Amino acid sequence: MVAIDIEHLSKKFGDFTALSDVSIDVQPKEFVTLLGPSGCGKTTLLKLISGFLEPTDGVIKIGGLDVTHVPPEKRDTALCFQSYALFPHLTVKENLEFGPRQKKISSSERKARIDDVSEKLDLTAQLDKLPNQLSGGQQQRVSLGRALTMRPSVILFDEPLSNLDAKLRDQVRIEIRRIQKEYGLTAIYVTHDQAEALSMSDRIVVLNDGRVEQVDSPERLYYAPKTRFVADFIGDANIFPGEVVGAISNGLWQVETGIGSFSVTALEAPKTKSVSLCWRPESAIIDTSGIKAKVVHRAFQGHFTDLIVETNETPYRVQTKRTDAQEGDIIQFSVSPDEVILLDKDT
Amino acid sequence: MTLRRGLLIIGLLTPGLGLILALIGTVVYIAVSQSFGFYSLNGISEFSTEFWSKMVGRKIFKRSIQYSIYIGVLSAIFSVALAYPLAIWLRKPFAGSNLIGAILKAPLLVHGLVAAFLFVNVISYHGILNQFMQWLGIWSEPRRLQNDPNAYSVLILQTWKNMPFALLLLTGAVQSISDDVLDAARDLGAGKWDRFRRVIAPLTISSMQAAMVIIFIGAVADFSFQVIAGPTNKQSLSQLMVSFKGRGDWHSAAVVGVSLMVIALVGSAILAAVARIIMRGRIK
Amino acid sequence: MTIEQLNKILLISLLLVCAIWLIIPFTMAVLWSLVDPSEPWTADKVLPPVISLYRWVDMWENSSLKSALIASYTLAPSAALLSLLLAMPTSFALGRLEFPGRELAKMLCLLPLVVPAFITAIFFTSLLYQVGLSSWRPGAILFAHAILFMPFAIRIMTVSFEQVRQDHIDAARNLGASHWARFRVAYLPALKPGIFATLLIVFIQSIEEFAIAFIVGSPDIVTIPTLLYAALGQDYVRPNAAVLSLILVVPNVILMLILERLLRSANPTLSSGKG
Repeated sequence: MVAIDIEHLSKKFGDFTALSDVSIDVQPKEFVTLLGPSGCGKTTLLKLISGFLEPTDGVIKIGGLDVTHVPPEKRDTALCFQSYALFPHLTVKENLEFGPRQKKISSSERKARIDDVSEKLDLTAQLDKLPNQLSGGQQQRVSLGRALTMRPSVILFDEPLSNLDAKLRDQVRIEIRRIQKEYGLTAIYVTHDQAEALSMSDRIVVLNDGRVEQVDSPERLYYAPKTRFVADFIGDANIFPGEVVGAISNGLWQVETGIGSFSVTALEAPKTKSVSLCWRPESAIIDTSGIKAKVVHRAFQGHFTDLIVETNETPYRVQTKRTDAQEGDIIQFSVSPDEVILLDKDT
Repeated sequence: MTLRRGLLIIGLLTPGLGLILALIGTVVYIAVSQSFGFYSLNGISEFSTEFWSKMVGRKIFKRSIQYSIYIGVLSAIFSVALAYPLAIWLRKPFAGSNLIGAILKAPLLVHGLVAAFLFVNVISYHGILNQFMQWLGIWSEPRRLQNDPNAYSVLILQTWKNMPFALLLLTGAVQSISDDVLDAARDLGAGKWDRFRRVIAPLTISSMQAAMVIIFIGAVADFSFQVIAGPTNKQSLSQLMVSFKGRGDWHSAAVVGVSLMVIALVGSAILAAVARIIMRGRIK
Repeated sequence: MTIEQLNKILLISLLLVCAIWLIIPFTMAVLWSLVDPSEPWTADKVLPPVISLYRWVDMWENSSLKSALIASYTLAPSAALLSLLLAMPTSFALGRLEFPGRELAKMLCLLPLVVPAFITAIFFTSLLYQVGLSSWRPGAILFAHAILFMPFAIRIMTVSFEQVRQDHIDAARNLGASHWARFRVAYLPALKPGIFATLLIVFIQSIEEFAIAFIVGSPDIVTIPTLLYAALGQDYVRPNAAVLSLILVVPNVILMLILERLLRSANPTLSSGKG
């Protein structure tokens, strides 16, 4: 059975459409990230799943039960807030206890859960402290622990790492994933940071302007983006309009673009003659043959060098491990057909 | 802290704080002294506990104490109990919330005597309430509602006058609770009553105590409402005190006055402590 | 039912309650004040049979209304001014100087609010008798009012003084300004809203004050509240009481609204330093 089933969900605020026609399935124990730029609707979607907003249209089912009109206090979800939202007048232990007490769980079971969570999150020494006596990282863990003691069907995260400094962020990122796997929880995670999304998720839902662009594993999103937005949002991409000239062989097509000709591997025939072609800057192999480009700008980044090049007055990016090419030089490069992606033209 | 600076500070504080302490200090001093027989204005000044012993034995004194405490405690409780749900309702602005807030706070602008008059006017024997009830057919003839023996009029007036003050204090406190904290409580399974009991009440307790104490002190020492709308067979402590003074019996007035002050102080402390215990007790 | 619908219902019911709570009593008062004595307003008529300003005119000419108005409206501004002046040095000390016991001092300033009004009134009178100043009534009331309401003055002015910017003072000093010039340029702009607020609040409180005016003032000095009290007591003439109530309430409401407007606009000026 699917853990979360979202069907044709829409949310309007007056004239403004925050989400339109979103349909997603989340499997049990899956870690799914909602990713997108600010205003894309990811927080709205999270609020709809947790119950703080009611949809204008559509259905949400959790564990097979229709919860579309069920208020948050009755849903089997637990939310980790961006601001942690710890109860300032309660100790860490009382904070962790809050949810189970509401559920009227026996005190021996409550104690067992708190001991378990505080051990896993290294909070045993802080149990009698008040939130204002804790560091940011500790507060974050209490926020997580408070959700965990509920043993919810679904655990939700609202950009939990944005208030932490960079080093702590990496650590906590790993911790959250570890805990999620250990407890076998279904998790929905909201972030605008693609590095976070790529490193943590089983699948990512990329949202833009209230619509789902693509739902896929991180690898597939990166190597096989379906739309221009996804290609551009995740990693860097060079995108060119082009015309399909014809098939070279079975599954191999030739596309003519403004900067040159590319061979593209595609399982299906391109639907239209006009296409958008895209490849990642690091896919370019600099050699003695191929497309000619003039180096306009060079930035040495240590483990790779970033080149901005121009062909026929069209600028684009090439990344390579090591090169002696300097500004003003002409380089030649090719891209393996497997790494050239065809996008739908109208995206 | 040099001597010069110390003198400067004292000098600056004298016309303000100094005068306050002087006035209040003297007033309290005279009240206490007169209650023990000193500073007599029409007799010999000498120490005596006679006035205290006589007063404690008087039935009217005991009744006044009971009555004033009754008014004080109930006014404080009603005002706060009414103000809490209103403060929570008005926590987030919505269409018309400013208007409601202004209307609810309007009684703060109305003088106590005026309020008493307006109220008495409305409930008078031929007043509009009587006429309305007769028109509806609920009553067949006008009823005498004024000066009722249970002091409902006084309680209503006290609540009407004081609820806005409690609302003022509680609104600030309730708005200082972040939305996230309340959402978190909701998410963890707390319904409306639990959210109040376990999050809002504990976090607003000091404002609630302040409101209760101030309202209690004001209501326990009430004179105007009592005299105009209160029961005729009972006297509030202030009323009693003024009547003694009017007869020239300053010493007895002083006894009542000192008692009033002590009751105000002790009563506030008890009220504040009880409020805290009730709120705390629910959490543990 | 959604939150929006619930809010609407509560709003409407509250407005209804408020209509009953505020509008009807006040309308009654206005109507009663307009009753002409030629035809009394009896229970069987919905509106008074004859409406005129007779009561208003009569009260103005024949009762102590005139002297009460004069008394109240000279007492109040004087008390306001006196309170402000007495409060300034203390507020300066509390707002800008550091010294041990400052928090305690701030709390002690609130003492007049804790002691019940009638106790202060009666034993202040006793004090006057003891000291032999019992004939100095108006002065005594003025003095008592000024001190009784000083907690407000001190509170407001302390906050105002706290908000005076040190760099303004330093700049003025740097440019060679004398004490008075410094005060005028660096302090006054930040203090102005506080000064107005203080004057207004003490004014309003003094106009409304009943206990001291009643106990210390009677029978010679009449203020509007004591006149209203008399009108409600022995000689209960309803229309007169109605007139007095309106005279007491209406200016009050207007002044309070001005005060609210003032306090609301005070803050941006203070913080941006453009005041």
